[in-house]
Amino acid sequence: MNILSYYLNNFGRIMSALEVHILIFLISLTFSVVIGMAISIFVTQEGRKKIGKVILSIMGAAQSVPSLVIIALIFIFVGIGIKPAIIALVVYGLVPIIFNTTSGILSVRQNIIEAGRGMGLTQNQLLWKVKIPIALPVIMGGIRSSATIIIGSATVAAVIGGGGLGDFIFIGLKLQKPEILISGAITVSLLAIIVDFIMAKIEKKVVSRGLQIKKN
Amino acid sequence: MIELTNVSKNFGNKTVVNNFSLHIEKGSLTIFIGPSGCGKTTTLRMINRLTPFDKGNIFVNGTSIIDIDPVELRRKIGYVIQEIGLFPHFTVFENIAIVPRLLKWKQKKIEQRVEELLELVTLNQSFAQKYPLQLSGGEKQRVGLARALAAEPEILLMDEPFGAIDPINRLKLQDSFLEIQEEIEKTVVFVTHDINEAIKLGDQIAIIDKGNLIQYDNVSQILSNPANEFVENLLGQDRNIKALSLEKAKDYVLKDGFITVLDTESRESVEKKMKEKNIEIAFSLDKKNRLISRFVLEKATETKKQKFIHDSAPWVIERQNNIKETLSKMLEIGEKQLPVVNRKKEFVGIIKLNNIFEEVNKKTNIS
Repeated sequence: MNILSYYLNNFGRIMSALEVHILIFLISLTFSVVIGMAISIFVTQEGRKKIGKVILSIMGAAQSVPSLVIIALIFIFVGIGIKPAIIALVVYGLVPIIFNTTSGILSVRQNIIEAGRGMGLTQNQLLWKVKIPIALPVIMGGIRSSATIIIGSATVAAVIGGGGLGDFIFIGLKLQKPEILISGAITVSLLAIIVDFIMAKIEKKVVSRGLQIKKN
Repeated sequence: MIELTNVSKNFGNKTVVNNFSLHIEKGSLTIFIGPSGCGKTTTLRMINRLTPFDKGNIFVNGTSIIDIDPVELRRKIGYVIQEIGLFPHFTVFENIAIVPRLLKWKQKKIEQRVEELLELVTLNQSFAQKYPLQLSGGEKQRVGLARALAAEPEILLMDEPFGAIDPINRLKLQDSFLEIQEEIEKTVVFVTHDINEAIKLGDQIAIIDKGNLIQYDNVSQILSNPANEFVENLLGQDRNIKALSLEKAKDYVLKDGFITVLDTESRESVEKKMKEKNIEIAFSLDKKNRLISRFVLEKATETKKQKFIHDSAPWVIERQNNIKETLSKMLEIGEKQLPVVNRKKEFVGIIKLNNIFEEVNKKTNIS
């Protein structure tokens, strides 16, 4: 009952922390998507496939680095506050996006690309009309896991002054008040679940039906 | 139409195409054949500049392709590959519409063209909204052909287009492709490693081995005068029989040795007529000259009496059937002679087994 009454009494504060959390999440995800896609497109262009494969293995390894390590490193080099927090989250959020986009584009079947070239598609048309749409289910998967990771890691980023729902968790820990900690944790978890649900809907919408149907 | 002059291509220090010169006539179907790695696909891909060549020149309609922007060149040349490479995220309609859209055709014109093409490749209009994953191998191949023909290119490059299709469907696709080609008369360059496919489809065949053009000639010339042992081996021991598939039943139709009667005539009167004229075979036809039935008057032998048979559903050979098919049909059903009809089922004459043998004998003795 403690938790519920704490939640109701502090609803306004929790909501404004949620707002900050969502804001940090949206900014970080946008940067991660734009930068991540740009890097992936660059490394997967014709003749750069080797770089693409190197990037893939680096990203594979980077996925196992804990978010706290990145946050701590950014703190050392950039300092404290919301900006360093966002920078850390963008860097961490890049990893699944680059990994999935690069492997998605690299795994578009060669005969499809050949047919496209043979019909007179330019490199740009091949990229935007063929490779990316076909890789989109994989790319969307990367963006979804990036979103989940950013929301989760944003709580950790509170230690370097990022703000958001992480504050409740750390304050709850320090004061040894579970109701504060749990209020923050539940809200973050709900946010993550809802965002993932929305992303799944978007994925269904933007991915061609031709890639979603089962073979009959 | 397409002219290769002294074209060479090296990969590293290996020569994959060695000094090819060949002229491809407008509206003809030219086959490139040879073992894998011989350079046939490389040569094909040089025509639409997917593979650059090192020496020589290639002309399309008198213009060197080096002077044409590769992207523009490719939009004017239809291209079909073995794995087809349909775009899985596009519907059949969108796949066929790719090049017309690149060329900025009006939507209305594109819709009409797609409808026409689906009809041409004998696919129901409902296929337009299907996705490649919902198609069978043969259907995909038809869509691939329609896509290559979409912007009405004069030239069609086909790289083992039927190679991945099972043998029965491959024969069907070959037949319908021949019919389509009769209608559209494109300049087709067709790569295959199947000699039967080459003989069946080709007007000319270019035989390629280890980067060298061994022989380039029309099909009957190649069958009767193979340039060397390699060509002979490629054609196989049965090249005389293969040559039979070049000839049509219509070339062997005989107009005598039988009588025709109207289908209103009674059995007895037909029998009487045949005995009077001492003729073994009679065909009864309706007013429109369509074959209805067959009468056979078997000669009496020592053990058997003379027998009169009325066959109300006779086997027939179609004018367009080739002689190889005709022979195997006759041998299979054990008939020495069969009536020949055209596609409207009108009776045109008969074909006789021993006559085919005589003709074939004459030809093989000459060559």
